[in-house]
Amino acid sequence: MTVAESTDTASEGAVNDDVIVVDDLHKSFGSLEVLRGVSLRANNHDVISILGSSGSGKSTFLRCINLLETPSSGRVFVHGELIRMRESANGLVAEDKKQVERIRAKLAMVFQSFNLWSHMTVMENVIEAPIHVLGRPKAEAIELAEKVLQRVGLYDRRDYYPSHLSGGQQQRAAIARALALEPEVMLFDEPTSALDPELVGEVLSIMRGLADEGRTMLVVTHEMGFAREVSDQVMFLHQGQVEEYGPPDQVFDSPKSERFKQFLSGTLD
Amino acid sequence: MDIVIGYLPLILKGTMITVLVSVCSVVLSVVFGLLGAWGKLSGSRAANRAANAYTTLIRGVPDLVLMLLLFYGGQQILNDLGDATGMWGFLEINHFTAGVGTIGFIFGAYMTETFRGAYLAIPGGEVEAGVACGMSRLKLVVRIIWPQLVRYALPSFSNNWLVLLKTTALVSVLGLHELVYEAMTAGRSTRQLFPFLFVALTIYLVLTAFSNTGLRWLGRKYSVGIRRT
Repeated sequence: MTVAESTDTASEGAVNDDVIVVDDLHKSFGSLEVLRGVSLRANNHDVISILGSSGSGKSTFLRCINLLETPSSGRVFVHGELIRMRESANGLVAEDKKQVERIRAKLAMVFQSFNLWSHMTVMENVIEAPIHVLGRPKAEAIELAEKVLQRVGLYDRRDYYPSHLSGGQQQRAAIARALALEPEVMLFDEPTSALDPELVGEVLSIMRGLADEGRTMLVVTHEMGFAREVSDQVMFLHQGQVEEYGPPDQVFDSPKSERFKQFLSGTLD
Repeated sequence: MDIVIGYLPLILKGTMITVLVSVCSVVLSVVFGLLGAWGKLSGSRAANRAANAYTTLIRGVPDLVLMLLLFYGGQQILNDLGDATGMWGFLEINHFTAGVGTIGFIFGAYMTETFRGAYLAIPGGEVEAGVACGMSRLKLVVRIIWPQLVRYALPSFSNNWLVLLKTTALVSVLGLHELVYEAMTAGRSTRQLFPFLFVALTIYLVLTAFSNTGLRWLGRKYSVGIRRT
């Protein structure tokens, strides 16, 4: 770690327990300002639900953490390590691609539309990144894959192609693919929004299990039950700003923000 | 029939040339096609313009005209260039190189559209999933993009290949001793054009039938995981 980085870390006052620290993140698409200064601190084993109506910037926020979108300004630390970015003509860009790739592999992401690789079987999907990104030997990758596939209940479907699975099974396979990276943090981007209502449960119950295991998770979701029962912290975004933040009991039972009250009454109706 | 058998070695030699020209041209056209598709899809405006000019020009002009133009004109330009720079003396492009060069260049324009369309058909989310697990650009191309590019390009590629195979008949005009040229030679010297052209026709049919089998195999190999309805 260079001197400059350690100073950055020190100025944040990040302790070792902070797996992810996001500091004053801004993101604009053209003249549209989607995020207007969002900060977040996730400790080890934290499950943080990120709520908000559509257009509130919650997915963009998540995608800025692993740099699927580059923020317009702000800083992201993973385990105290600053993701280095520099100014360019089109805003910030990653300074060091290798660093970004290394950090992305620690932050496994689960997408709304699963995004399984359609030309690979479930097993091939799960061993792909361990072999070709982390450089694990194939036998070891397969052994781990068998474990995570059993975990999500898809071991008997390991030789199926994604198109032959239901939405719920595909999302469970995608969770298995993320788990196979042995990530430090899991990022969930509306993991149940594309599922038929009767398939939501099977995915949520796996996510509950992961939370119970003590995994660090950031979950963008519309599932109020999950947010309330499973998460340690709830963050409510409105128009690119944090409107409400705190433990679920406090946030759901005595919300301070009018917006959040409206949001709750709207979603609970 | 006896006449045909006597000329058979000549015709088979011509067939070999036809196959060779076709294979070399299709390889070249894939190179041009990938470059063209990259040009069309890249953020660079200059590359966009160049690729658009290429496909508009080539696809809007008859193959034969282009072939004659590139063969005679290309040779002229090459020699003028050699004169001007003094780097080489008189060059004569042989018929084979000229044929492969022009057919490859012409079909590169069609392949450009083939690959451009195929690239656009790759689900963006699957590429993003690769990025999110930390794949480098090279890994993404090799592991995620290329297999799917081939899958989506194959139907249109197969079409282009069949047309290309038949277009090589035009190279006989440049004087290349391929199948049609040899069939015509045999036909003229025996004053029996019809049986020889019929032989040529049959050989083309056999070649395309073989291609179809090969392409179907490739199609099966690359379309795993696609639900067939």
